[in-house]
Parts: sequence; structure tokens; C-alpha cells
Amino acid sequence: MTTIKNFMTEDHRHCDDLFADAEQAIGKKDIAAAKGAFEHFQAAMLAHFNTEEKTLFPTFEAKTGMSMGPTQVMRMEHIQLRALMENALEALAQGNIDEYIGQADTLVIMMQQHNMKEENMLYPMCDQHLSAETPDLLAHIEAELGEG
Amino acid sequence: MEKASLSFDQAPPFSAPLRFFLTAPLFALLAGLLLLWEGPELLLSRWTPGALAATHLLTIGFMLQTMLGALIQIMPVVAGVNIENPIVFARWVHIGLTLGALTLVSGFYFSLPTALTIAAIVLGISVSGFLVGVLRPLSRTPSTSPTIRGIKLAMLGLAGVVGLGMLLAFSLAHGWALPLMALTDLHASWGLGAWGGILLAAMAYVVVPMFQLTPGYQARLSWWFPLLLMICVGVWSLGVLLDVSILGRLAQAVANLLGIGFCGFTLRLQLKRRRARADVTFRYWQLGLTSAIFALIMGLTATLWPDLATSNQWPIVVGLLLIVGGFLSFITGMLYKIIPFLGWIHLQSLGEYKVPAPPMKKILDEPAMNLQMLAHGVALLVLLVAVFVPELVRVGGLFFAIASGLLVWNVFGAARRYRQHSKLILEKLGKL
Repeated sequence: MTTIKNFMTEDHRHCDDLFADAEQAIGKKDIAAAKGAFEHFQAAMLAHFNTEEKTLFPTFEAKTGMSMGPTQVMRMEHIQLRALMENALEALAQGNIDEYIGQADTLVIMMQQHNMKEENMLYPMCDQHLSAETPDLLAHIEAELGEG
Repeated sequence: MEKASLSFDQAPPFSAPLRFFLTAPLFALLAGLLLLWEGPELLLSRWTPGALAATHLLTIGFMLQTMLGALIQIMPVVAGVNIENPIVFARWVHIGLTLGALTLVSGFYFSLPTALTIAAIVLGISVSGFLVGVLRPLSRTPSTSPTIRGIKLAMLGLAGVVGLGMLLAFSLAHGWALPLMALTDLHASWGLGAWGGILLAAMAYVVVPMFQLTPGYQARLSWWFPLLLMICVGVWSLGVLLDVSILGRLAQAVANLLGIGFCGFTLRLQLKRRRARADVTFRYWQLGLTSAIFALIMGLTATLWPDLATSNQWPIVVGLLLIVGGFLSFITGMLYKIIPFLGWIHLQSLGEYKVPAPPMKKILDEPAMNLQMLAHGVALLVLLVAVFVPELVRVGGLFFAIASGLLVWNVFGAARRYRQHSKLILEKLGKL
């Protein structure tokens, strides 16, 4: 059976791939392609945050009673990541490659350490507490990611 | 595990790791100045007082400092391991390491038995303190990733290298009749293999894919590499203990092969990087991996022709390649990412997400880091040549002092700019 950890981790990797597409385009100095790829990446990230904030986190919080714990930290980091993505996209819209690279540098580390905390700690906790709900929960999450 | 996870927002305050990162380059600078002061004498053999002093300025003063500082920072993120009272903990470990390293180095350089004894005790207590502080939370964390298991094994390596180091220091100070040469090689294998090598691998599993968007390390390789390396060092130790030199040589050969494999594999992963641009961290890793491969090939060769290992030049070249070319490069490359990122993230939370933090390059800019790396690369080359052309030792020392001085400038500059931005952010926050 697919676990929450496996499913969500795979979606992280999917987002990484989309981000890499944007980076590759920047490497070729193709700003238009980079902007398109980055928008793609941003949409996938926002869909991921969305399903976490609307579905996964509330279910976890309801079940465990921990509403100010790890999920709260993850929400704060989502805010930071949203802002970083906005900044990077704005740099691309202005055609400013150096500015983009600066923003993307921070974005990459922030995103990866955020993913690491989720994959190593939060998702395993979800799997531990939500085993009964997992099939329904994953179906729901999959649908939400599809909409995004 | 649950308890650790609940508090994973409690990343330690910036000052906990920063004190280590600020002190370490000063030790490297001291090593450069020592080379400059001593000149050709220092590189005559690995047993000269100057060479022993310089080696420990780099291994304890620079490497151990940054490694423990980085662990305090990174363990909560990668392993959910939270140290209680990180500031107090960091302060004591840092003071102990700094004083211990300075005392040890003076003991070597001025041949002071009492200083060696005191240094061994101070360093022993500091590192034991560190181990005690992290072992409890670490033992509660299941080894769910190669990184977590690598960190656990590295702790064993740390205990080994410090234990042997203390034994050696006491032997030197009190004239105990021990096989000092064999024990010194063993001490180095625990330090650079079981501790440094395993910790480096455990960190590489995380940071190589993270900084450069490369594919991940193959799961089975990354799981086995640290354990196999630890087994090699264990067999080597057994060889020394039972006085069976062939056992040590065999273990040494396998350990070198493992290291070459790991470095080669990492180089190959880095070729598949998907970031837009090669940055200074990437180039530092390339330099480090290439130097380490040369050092390990030389180490392997010496297991086949042991006469090489007893020559004066061979071990010095290996040491330069592995420590200056390898570990110093890896560590500096990582510092150049960690310091600006930590600065940024702490400024971000200081602004309570209402006042934006400046981008990382406002804390540490690329050209300054590139210049420092250039000086480091030149220093390495000149020092390698200087092993055979003594007239060049002082030139190499000068370049190494310049490279370390620039590193001091860069990290202190980053800390200064961090403080300036903190002030600005608090002012802006007050006006909101």
C-alpha cells in the first residue's frame, strides 16, 4: 500500500524536476522558456501546499490534537516559500538573470530543507497516526493535486 | 522520535553554530602564518614540531570546529535530533575545543609535555561532553536514512580519534613505550576515515543533491559505504593491537579503494547536476573530490610499496592533498552555503515575516568567495610543489595565509552584515 510518506515524497520529486527544467532553461539563457517552466513549477508547488494545508494537516491535527506543532512550522515555511517563488518569478519577468539566480539559490535550500523535515519527520508521523484514513486521504489528495 | 519531531521548529539560534564558523578560519590563518614563519623546516617530515602543530591547527582548529558546529545546526533538520540548551552546549564545547587546540599546538611546537597532557584532558572532556549531549537524543532516533546511520557511526569515529589522540599525547608527554608511528597512522585513519570520511559521506548524501539538484546517491551504496569504512578502520586497529601488519595494510588498501569509489561516484553525480550555474560550492567540491582521489591513490600505492610511506615526502603530499585539498575544500564550500542561508533564515524570522530579509548574496557575495577559492587553489598547488622545492614553502605559506585571511574576512564580514541587517529589520518592524 502506498504510504503518505511515499506519495508526498514523490510529489516533492516531481516539483524538483519542474524546478530543474527552469534552471536548465536559465543555463541556456532562454528566459522565456525559463519563465514558462518556472510557472509550471510554481503551480505544482502551490497545489502541493494547498492540499497539505487544506487536507493533510487538518486531518493530522484533528487526529492528534497537535495544532501548534510541526504543521504550524510547515505552514510558516510555506509562506516563506511562496514569497521566494514570487520574487524569483518577478526577476524572470524583468529578464534579470542574476537576480533570479540569487533568489533561486535561497529558494532551493529553503525548499530542500523544508522537504527534508516533512519527509523525515512529519510524513512518518502522519503514517503512524492516520493509517486507517490513508486510502481515502490519498484519494482526496490526489484529486486536489490534479485540480492544481 | 515523536518528542523530537514536536519541537522541530527549535532550530538552534544562529550564534550556536556561528561561533565555530568564526573561529575555525582563524586557526587556518594561524597555520598559514606558521608555515610562513617556519619555512622549509616545516615540510621536511611529518614528525617535525612545526608539521605536527600545523596539522592539528587544521584538523582540530579548523575541521573539528566546523564539523561540530555544523552538526549542532544540522542534526535537528536531518535527524530530528534536538540538543537541550544549544547555546550553553555550543559555548562550552567551543571554548573547550579552542583552548584545547591552542594548548595542544603549543605543546607540539614548543615541545612542552605539560601542555600536551593538559590539552589531551581538555580536548577529551570537550569532545566527551559533545558526545554525551548528542548521544541521548541520537539514540532515540531510528536509523531511517543512510545519513542518520552515518552520523551515528561518525560519533564512534570521533570517540576513536580523540581516544587515540589522548593516548598519543600522554605517551609523548610521559615517554610511554608504545609503537608511536603505527598508533599515529591509526589515529589519522580514525580521524580522516572513521570520523571525517564517514561524516563527510553522511552530509554528502544530503547536500550534494540539495545544493546542485543532482540525482540522489544509490541507496545501497550510501547505506554500506560508512559501515564498510568503519569495518576497515576496525580491522586496521586490530592489526595494530595484535601487531599483525599485513592486516593493517589490507584494511588500509580497502579503505583507500572505498574512498576512491565514493569520490568517483560523487564526481559522476555532480556531472548530472541540474542547477543553472556552477557556483563556488560546486567548484570547491570538485577540487576536494579530485584532490582526495589523488591522495587516496597515493595511499593505496603506499600499501603496495610500504617504503613510500616511510619516506619523508610521500605522507606530506598525501596529507596536503587530503586535508588542505580535500577536507578544507569541502568544508569551506559548505560554509559558503550554510552561513548565508542561516543568516537569511534568521533575518526572516526576526522580521516576523512582515519585513522581508535581504537575499543571501547581500550577506556573502559570490566574487568575494571566488577570490578566496582562487587563493586557496594556488596555495595548494604551491605547497605541493614546495614539498620537493623547499624554497617555495614560504610562498605556499603566504598564499595559504592569504586564502585563510580572505576566509576570515568573508565569514566575519557575513556576520557583520547579518548584524547590520538585523538592526535595520528591527527598526522597520518598530515603525510598522
